[in-house]
Amino acid sequence: MTRTPAPASAPDGGPDGVLSRLLRGPDSALGHVAVPVGAVLAALVVGGVLMAVEGVAPLSAYGEVVLGVFGRTRGLIDTAVMATPLILLGLGIAVAYRARVFTIGAEGQYIAGALAGTAWVTVGPPLPGFLLLVSGLAVAVLTGAAWAGITAWMLARFGASVVITSLLLNYVAAAGLAWAVRVGIRDPGSFTPQSRALGDAALPDIPGTGIHLGFFLALLAVPALAAVLRRTRFGFRVEVLGANPEVLAVNEARPARTRLAVLALAGAFAGLAGFVEVAGVTERMTPAFATGYGFTAIIVALLGRLRPLGVLVAALLLAGLTVGFDEAERVFIIPSTTVGVIQALIVVFFVAGDALSRRGRR
Amino acid sequence: MDTLLTLATLAAAIRLAIPVAVAALGELISERAGVLNLGLEGTMLFGALAGYLATLASGTPWLGLGGGILAGAACGAVLALLMVVVRADQIVTGLAFTLFAGSATTYLFEQSYTIGQAPPRIPSLSMAPLVVIVLVVLAGVWFLLTRTTAGLVLSATGEAPEAVDALGYRIPRVRTLATVTGSAIAGLAGAMLVCGPLGLFVQNVTAGRGWVALALVVFARWRPGRAVAGALLFGLCDAAQLRLQGTATAIPYEVFLALPYVVTLLALMVRARRSGTPAALAVPFVRGGT
Repeated sequence: MTRTPAPASAPDGGPDGVLSRLLRGPDSALGHVAVPVGAVLAALVVGGVLMAVEGVAPLSAYGEVVLGVFGRTRGLIDTAVMATPLILLGLGIAVAYRARVFTIGAEGQYIAGALAGTAWVTVGPPLPGFLLLVSGLAVAVLTGAAWAGITAWMLARFGASVVITSLLLNYVAAAGLAWAVRVGIRDPGSFTPQSRALGDAALPDIPGTGIHLGFFLALLAVPALAAVLRRTRFGFRVEVLGANPEVLAVNEARPARTRLAVLALAGAFAGLAGFVEVAGVTERMTPAFATGYGFTAIIVALLGRLRPLGVLVAALLLAGLTVGFDEAERVFIIPSTTVGVIQALIVVFFVAGDALSRRGRR
Repeated sequence: MDTLLTLATLAAAIRLAIPVAVAALGELISERAGVLNLGLEGTMLFGALAGYLATLASGTPWLGLGGGILAGAACGAVLALLMVVVRADQIVTGLAFTLFAGSATTYLFEQSYTIGQAPPRIPSLSMAPLVVIVLVVLAGVWFLLTRTTAGLVLSATGEAPEAVDALGYRIPRVRTLATVTGSAIAGLAGAMLVCGPLGLFVQNVTAGRGWVALALVVFARWRPGRAVAGALLFGLCDAAQLRLQGTATAIPYEVFLALPYVVTLLALMVRARRSGTPAALAVPFVRGGT
């Protein structure tokens, strides 16, 4: 994929006033891959040192991590299932960040989409199973987009910072989740707060595997989004907006409209991810539905260099690490937070490495 | 509703507002210098853990607060290195740091006690000294920003870094100092959370209070007094929410859960266009333009 290099005189980003050449990565193709790979390796080394301090031989532990994923069917299934929401969320975030619209509202959009989809399916009109599932997906996508739309509207109408408004809306969505499962769409027959089960509207498994169809959907979304970014006018606008908003304003279209579009798209992906998670995994909503995938997906998008294929790889990597460590913990006495530390270190090393690799070039 | 406004609720509101208020004051300093520090939540977490461990080791919560300040300053140094010196993207760096802190503090905390045993409680400070600390920090930040040359340079750095640079001040130095100072205060806020009535560290003890503080700074239009007032408003909503949980009332407690955020959103609508935002917020400074 060739990229339009940002002009040296690119003015500061959107209304957030955020300048981020770093997100675009180093100019060389090597650096594009070398920095994320290096960050992952460095984090694994530090994680190994931590384990050694704990008295666990790092290499055998990592061997167990790899075995935990590749050595058994269940490991691969779990990895695919866990990667599914991360891929979908990461794709949406990647598009927004490409246009330099720094939303951190994926978590809220994910919750809002899942809630609306679940409400539609469990207390909405009685439809046959397949129609219920498809309409539920549509409701979730639209709700996610609308939830992100609040951010877009506040940006366009009042110039309010996307970072702050999208962040605030996460909390509003979390409160909405707490209320909905306690009162709004609660299963009347349940003692603990939770929604009814999705029943017929649950996502079936891909035949012959234990992986729900959502993974397939996520896999399809990767080339679809790549094609949209590379071949359509919208994709071109995203690139131009990311590189230089003024060029877009002068030459072609209103940057505000493209910002709205990327936010809505990110929200749509997040809403889809939310409902896919309900329909494929949890099959009902509980207060524990918000697990922070919306934030992990930011790592996924960044590590994936804001490219669809990169997002796929990064999501599988982070999911695989989590699943593999789960298995390794059964064999070795490793603190359960080790994998979290390693994932967090990956991001820190990535950010630092990327910044350093660009330093001195300007 | 009338049962809500009791003395007990008010006391709870103040207790809940204290760490948020202090964290917001810390963030305000770095933002005034043009550094949007999204690592605030993570810094508070490190401060809280350091406060817990230092109190545990020394037996006095006052040293715990000191530990929180030191840990916060260390976080600030790391963040400043990345955001100011290396000029990594401020939003990405802050997010990354907060993600890191969530895992790292849990990991370190688990190392600090024997698994299977309950982590020990620490001796805690009562409300009165904590309130005094808030007022001292408020007065200090206000005095710094409005009555000293350093404060003037700081604010100017967030507004017009080129002009400050032309006057001979070093922008990276000013921003680094602001980030370290602000983070030290955020570390103190985290330690106050743990060394106060809680007397315990638990996983993710800050529970989003750093993010609330970030929103409060915007809500307060970067003014210290308003930030503290906003924190009190947040504390009231939080206290009302806690009080209503489990009681059947016409208003669901989740309304109060969402209220501080909704109010902040509304405030942004009313005032976002009106100035007050440091013009160079989150814009890395490169000498001679970009």
